[in-house]
Amino acid sequence: MQNCIYALLALTVFTMSSCEKVIDINLNNASKKYVIEGMLSDQSGSCKVLITTTRNFDEDNSFVGISGAQVTIADGTGPELSLVESSNGIYENKSITGIVGHTYNLKVIINGEQFTASSTIPEKVLFDTLFVNDEVIFGELIKLVNLRYPDPVGRGNSYRFIQYINGEKDKTIFIRNDDLNDGRIIETVLFSLNDDDDEEESKISKGDEVRIEMLCVDAAVYKYWFSLDQSALGTNESASPANPVTNITGGALGYFSAHTYQTDSLISP
Amino acid sequence: MLSKLALAFTILFLLFMVIPNLHAQEKYTVSGSVTSKRTGESLIGASVRVVDRNIGAISNEYGFFSITLSRGSYTIEITAVGLGKKTIEVELDKNIKLNVQLEEVDASLEEVTVIASKGRSLTSTQMGMEKLTIAETKNIPVLFGERDILKTIQLLPGIKSAGEGNSGFYVRGGAADQNLILLDEAPVYNASHLLGFFSTFNSDAIKDITVYKGGMPAQYAGRLSSVLDIKMNDGNNQDFNVSGGLGLISAKLNVEGPIQKDKSSFLISGRRTYVDAFLKLSNDTAAKNSRLYFYDLNAKVNYKLGDKDRLYLSGYFGRDKLGYDNQFGIDWGNGTGTLRWNHIFNSKLFSNTSLIFSNYDYEVSVRSDAIDFNIFSQIKDYNIKQEFQWFLNNRNSIRFGINSIYHTIRPGEVSSSENSSFGSLLLQRRYSWENGIYITNNWKATDRFNLTYGLRLTSFSILGNGDFYTLDDKGNAIDTTSYGKGTFVKTYVNPEPRIAASYQLNNSSSLKLSYVRNVQNLHLISNSTTSSPSDKWVASSNIIKPELSDQVSIGYYKNLFDNKYELTVETYYKDLQNQIDYRDGADVFTNDAIETQLLFGKGRAYGLEWLLKKTSGKFTGWLSYTLSKTERKINGINNNEWYNARQDRTHDVAIVASYALNKKWTFSANWIYYTGDAVTFPSGKYRVDEQVVYYYTERNGYRYPSYHRLDLGATLQLKKKKKFSSELVFSIFNAYGRENTYTIAFQDSETDPNKTEAVQTALFKFVPSVSYNFKF
Repeated sequence: MQNCIYALLALTVFTMSSCEKVIDINLNNASKKYVIEGMLSDQSGSCKVLITTTRNFDEDNSFVGISGAQVTIADGTGPELSLVESSNGIYENKSITGIVGHTYNLKVIINGEQFTASSTIPEKVLFDTLFVNDEVIFGELIKLVNLRYPDPVGRGNSYRFIQYINGEKDKTIFIRNDDLNDGRIIETVLFSLNDDDDEEESKISKGDEVRIEMLCVDAAVYKYWFSLDQSALGTNESASPANPVTNITGGALGYFSAHTYQTDSLISP
Repeated sequence: MLSKLALAFTILFLLFMVIPNLHAQEKYTVSGSVTSKRTGESLIGASVRVVDRNIGAISNEYGFFSITLSRGSYTIEITAVGLGKKTIEVELDKNIKLNVQLEEVDASLEEVTVIASKGRSLTSTQMGMEKLTIAETKNIPVLFGERDILKTIQLLPGIKSAGEGNSGFYVRGGAADQNLILLDEAPVYNASHLLGFFSTFNSDAIKDITVYKGGMPAQYAGRLSSVLDIKMNDGNNQDFNVSGGLGLISAKLNVEGPIQKDKSSFLISGRRTYVDAFLKLSNDTAAKNSRLYFYDLNAKVNYKLGDKDRLYLSGYFGRDKLGYDNQFGIDWGNGTGTLRWNHIFNSKLFSNTSLIFSNYDYEVSVRSDAIDFNIFSQIKDYNIKQEFQWFLNNRNSIRFGINSIYHTIRPGEVSSSENSSFGSLLLQRRYSWENGIYITNNWKATDRFNLTYGLRLTSFSILGNGDFYTLDDKGNAIDTTSYGKGTFVKTYVNPEPRIAASYQLNNSSSLKLSYVRNVQNLHLISNSTTSSPSDKWVASSNIIKPELSDQVSIGYYKNLFDNKYELTVETYYKDLQNQIDYRDGADVFTNDAIETQLLFGKGRAYGLEWLLKKTSGKFTGWLSYTLSKTERKINGINNNEWYNARQDRTHDVAIVASYALNKKWTFSANWIYYTGDAVTFPSGKYRVDEQVVYYYTERNGYRYPSYHRLDLGATLQLKKKKKFSSELVFSIFNAYGRENTYTIAFQDSETDPNKTEAVQTALFKFVPSVSYNFKF
């Protein structure tokens, strides 16, 4: 919602006059931090943990995986099951499949430092309709994905969507909760108000294959994506950029998300 | 606590009573009003001076003055900014009424000798105050040629702009919401149009502006950092007048005149932008159906009921309307209304009663097939004030009064149509009742020493109905208590002492000292780089404590070169308590328990301000320099360490100059320089979900590049006819095209996606404008 307002206001400003240029800023270097991305869904073979570190701003974007970590996941108070490093910094255990309603505990030990997180797979909600619709946004005809799903009664359901266009992942973070529409049949439009014109890959054209993943996530994971989207993407709307609110304790960046999974695709008309 | 305060009040009262007339002679009072002869407008702050005696008065906000003297004959001299002087002989053997009309000096006189702005009073205890008349702001070049008092005050020391072309401002390290902005006594909750690029004050309708940066008099309360007291014109009660202007982006029209000559008058003033007219030219139907404009409407009537009574009714209504096709829309605006009754009980006792209404609301609407909803939010006040000014004798003048405000806040109400996939949401309405009682005495202890001392007692009661929360130390709501309608949830009582002293060192210089405590119970929750209409007002609650500020300041004032120049140096230290900021990842939109999204801490601000002003002659203007620091310490932010507030700017310089070349041409220029804002930049980056995101280690640890720009202006007075006069105003904003930082964003490099880069956005470079103003 906020984004809509800002986009509208920003548009007003930029129509008045503005100019952009790349500038040099001397940014401090910070000591390296571990970044843990843990995910587990109700699909078999989905259990995966990626470990990397931060890099300085002026370095390139080759984020190297961290090897040699001890990674385990436990279903509630059940036994800790190990994840095995399948390639550099990627840890997997194909035999762990998430169960709706269960809480999973992740433990990562890297060079003696321990990080933990827990996440619960919420009730599974499935979308029943998926279609591409034409909308005119700011004078431009844009194709946008529409989804319909029934939100269960009771506030607290949270969703995350991931969009792939011809196999390319759209960088836009699509998250929804039911604060404003609890218990309704929800029709949502996945549109990104990126002010970057160069994001051609996030635009849908006729004949494109569009695939959508829908994840039902818990409140902490929703908060992670919400705060990441608001304050850590380097854009300029927030007066106080900050690291996203993580559910990992111990001082690492990243998240651990246990969620349900559904995917479907279509060819854009 | 309460009984102690009652005692303090009693003692204050007694103090006033025992200040005796030391020499019991026959005393008489000369009182009356000062008005402009041409327009009948009452003159605020006119100087009424007894010649050859160190006795004088300043007309109050309704033009009233009162001086008490021993029997005898006196010469009284009355002067006001921009007007001629008047000298009156009086034989004082009874109480005398003096209604003085000052004539406008004919501007066609060869030498311009009119005082452009009033010299600062050396004897008055008031410090941290700047006063501007609209005439003074007239020649200052501004963005798009839209004269704007809120932008003009930013050129004064201690008052900083909230950003490029922005009408928002920060005073002495305070936040933008800590300024009390009053229009004819009514608080204006959002004083900006269109992202803050324009203020809501149409300069055609404004008479006078006073900014208090410190040492606020006791009649003002409710915000920590400053008071901006704006008074609307009353309306000409002599002649009909129409004036107006056509500018780059807006048109204005002002009509005023007598209803009954000398007795009553009216004023209506309107302004509307017309950028949207260009949208209509677009081929695109969606653009054609878009809205992008704002308007302001000011209206006032006043009526003299007799010699002793006068009624004023004034109102303001303004709105912004932005919308794209019928898909999105947002509109917002303020409305205020003030009904005032002046009553003169006797030559020494002046009373004013005000009934005030103020409202701010915004509405967002989104319409498409399935997404269809409206968000509405509002803050509304009913306010009553009673004030007495008692001109006890020529050593003591006392002001006392009471004030009661009932606030209603509707934080957010979402409604939607039946087919919408959005439901309705009603965030709880919040009710509160704010009361104040104050008394203050201005004591002229000796010819050189003046003391103003007073006390204000403010109470703020949070009323039901509603749910109030108990939080754990992580900010999660662990318990809810429901209160019924009209019940008291919590009452905060805060004494606000106000003390100020001045000591005149010699004929041309003085020293002043003041201490003031301010309390703020309404807080604006904002997290955007620009002012957004949807920034949210919240009241103090059981968890949000009243913000407190204690400010001490010392100043030195000197008039130089025959009062042609004035020098002001002030320094201040301010201690702030119960300051508010967001938690990381806060969502304040859909949350009833907004306290769960907030953090609380303290702040400090200090600085040194220089102002050298040339107030008369062909060449006028000022040079202002501020050296300052403002910091916050809030647990949960910046590892609980002190950090710079965003508006912390070490150096701030403004040079404002205006030169009246001849009767036709006036040239003007200003140059502004300040240290870039304190901002948060990343100290690293990492990858999440296959994209690069940024890693932050400290709050506001970096700075934008320093800001500077030059604006130029010229006013051409066109041929004057008997009744008709007109002028052309030219200006260039940012004349040397400095690309000042508006924002800096971080992103993957466009040339090498394996790298990241910083991209600066700059707004306004060389913005020329021309506008045409007329009057008849």
